Amino acid sequence: MKALRVRRPTTVRGLLLHVILMAGVLVSMFPFYWTIVMATNTTQDITKYPPKLTFGSHLFDNIQRLLDSIDFFGAMFNTVIVAVSTTALVLLLDSLAAFAFAKYEFPGRRVLFAMLMGIFMLPLQLAIIPQYLIMAELGWLGSLKAVIFPATANAFGIFWMRQYMIGAIHDELIDAARMDGCGFFRQYWHVGLPAVRPGLAFLGIYTFVAAWNDYVWPLVALVNPDRVTLQVALSQLNVSHGRQDYAMVMAGVLLAVLPLVVVFSLFARSFIADATKGAVRE
Amino acid sequence: MTGTPALELRSVHRIYGFGSSATNALDEVHLTVPPGRFVSLIGPSGCGKSTLLRLVAGLEQPDHGEVRVHGVPPAKACAAKLIGLVPQSPALLPWLSVLRNVTLPQKINKGAARRRERIAGFAERDAAPSAPDMRELLVKAGLGEAMDKLPAELSGGMRQRAAIVRAFGLRPDVLVMDEPFSALDEFTRESLQDQLLDLWDELKTTVLFVTHSVPEAVRLSDTVVVMAPHPGRIVDIIDVDLPRPRGDRLFGERRFHEYEDLIRDRLRRAWHGEAA
Ligand SMILES: Nc1ncnc2c1ncn2[C@@H]1O[C@H](COP(=O)(O)OP(=O)(O)OP(=O)(O)O)[C@@H](O)[C@H]1O
Ligand SMILES: [Mg+2]
Repeated sequence: MKALRVRRPTTVRGLLLHVILMAGVLVSMFPFYWTIVMATNTTQDITKYPPKLTFGSHLFDNIQRLLDSIDFFGAMFNTVIVAVSTTALVLLLDSLAAFAFAKYEFPGRRVLFAMLMGIFMLPLQLAIIPQYLIMAELGWLGSLKAVIFPATANAFGIFWMRQYMIGAIHDELIDAARMDGCGFFRQYWHVGLPAVRPGLAFLGIYTFVAAWNDYVWPLVALVNPDRVTLQVALSQLNVSHGRQDYAMVMAGVLLAVLPLVVVFSLFARSFIADATKGAVRE
Repeated sequence: MTGTPALELRSVHRIYGFGSSATNALDEVHLTVPPGRFVSLIGPSGCGKSTLLRLVAGLEQPDHGEVRVHGVPPAKACAAKLIGLVPQSPALLPWLSVLRNVTLPQKINKGAARRRERIAGFAERDAAPSAPDMRELLVKAGLGEAMDKLPAELSGGMRQRAAIVRAFGLRPDVLVMDEPFSALDEFTRESLQDQLLDLWDELKTTVLFVTHSVPEAVRLSDTVVVMAPHPGRIVDIIDVDLPRPRGDRLFGERRFHEYEDLIRDRLRRAWHGEAA
């Protein structure tokens, strides 16, 4: 850290690098800025040519129209339920499976892991129809269960945690725990999990964001229009109003993204703290 | 005292892998250790010393033969906390202080004392197994200052000492140690040997100690077990009949060197026997 701070970008190369990075930041920030602009103006203002590029004062009108047309907070509540339970289950189940794959010798381990990697490669589109049929069979269609449970045993999550655990959990510690009389679950809970906290933090952020923003599968599975997640509810705005009210849609998008930004910054702080702590203690 | 040996291995085989790539890590190993003895295992790399320790600690199962610790299988002995292991690299949880690390075993498996009593011949030897004061043991091992530090803040030797104290904290009846001092400089090593002998003297445990160093084996042990590789086996068992405590004075004595030479000779023969 210190070394980086001391080496100031006095060289041409350093300056150039900064300019490029700044440009990158601006380009990736622009859609977010544009969303705010649209959410705070009227639709007429943003669809005229040239469009208005500064913040307006119509945010509350837009939000009011949004709340009148959909059950925004109901949908957000559903999304919170989905994202929180998916993340909790993914962290628990994926790390549990990963612990077995990383630290236990059991018959069929290689075959199972190869199959898991196979699933990893499959695109979601292939799974949608069989998944739909399964959910229909279970009678879960239209219920949030249908969105939560298929996401929990996640091939990427298991793979990621396994790789992390192979490096981070020393065999001597597991041996010692076994000799002290810890069974599989206590080894996992007391030796395995604390050693992989940064890995879990990453997986948690990743899963939460993915669950929050997930659109295709909830759209298919949540067949009851009164019980949908935020992303699906926002998409209903497009069809339910003849002329597009972009300002209202963007106000919805803005409100939908805010909790994510909050959660992300909270998690990211502990994630970074943990990662550096690990590096110092190595 | 009963006649049950602290450790007993009967025609133990351990084979890793199968087919043409199989490694015969242990082949027809017999070993009996009476309670309270200090036994060293010595032999060239790959002769199965670590494997033997893992079998005794119940971390692995023999493919053939039997391992008994105080007459019961290692898993049962572990559940009763009869066995303490000091691995080759110290096993301390990085997120706990030294003190919490060494007191951890006492917090897990609280039923151990009850299980201990059920193992015949043990209850009478250790009628009042009071938990030792871990702070005192740490101070004795020179870690008084380091008690509240994290393992990463200690030197390698200090970590090793903490691992030894952790194992002693169980008051194990059998302490198995896998080259615990091999990564240390000579000075630290000798002082740790002394501390180990003190603790051993005080707690009267049976010790199974793996080492690569012949003087270390002679200095510490009642019995030296010489092993040879391919297949891993015991080639000789030598009793070291020297008075204790074995201070520095002993290093100069002829008897000490005679034992050293004897063990070196056996090791050399084990090595050449393999080449032939
Ligand atoms: N998990 C394992 N899988 C396959 N082979 C193994 C395994 N553990 C040990 N071996 C083999 O068993 C033999 C004995 O190994 P072991 O670790 O017991 O030797 P050692 O005497 O402790 O050697 P060193 O002095 O180098 O520590 C070696 O040939 C090794 O390759
Ligand atoms: Mg070894």
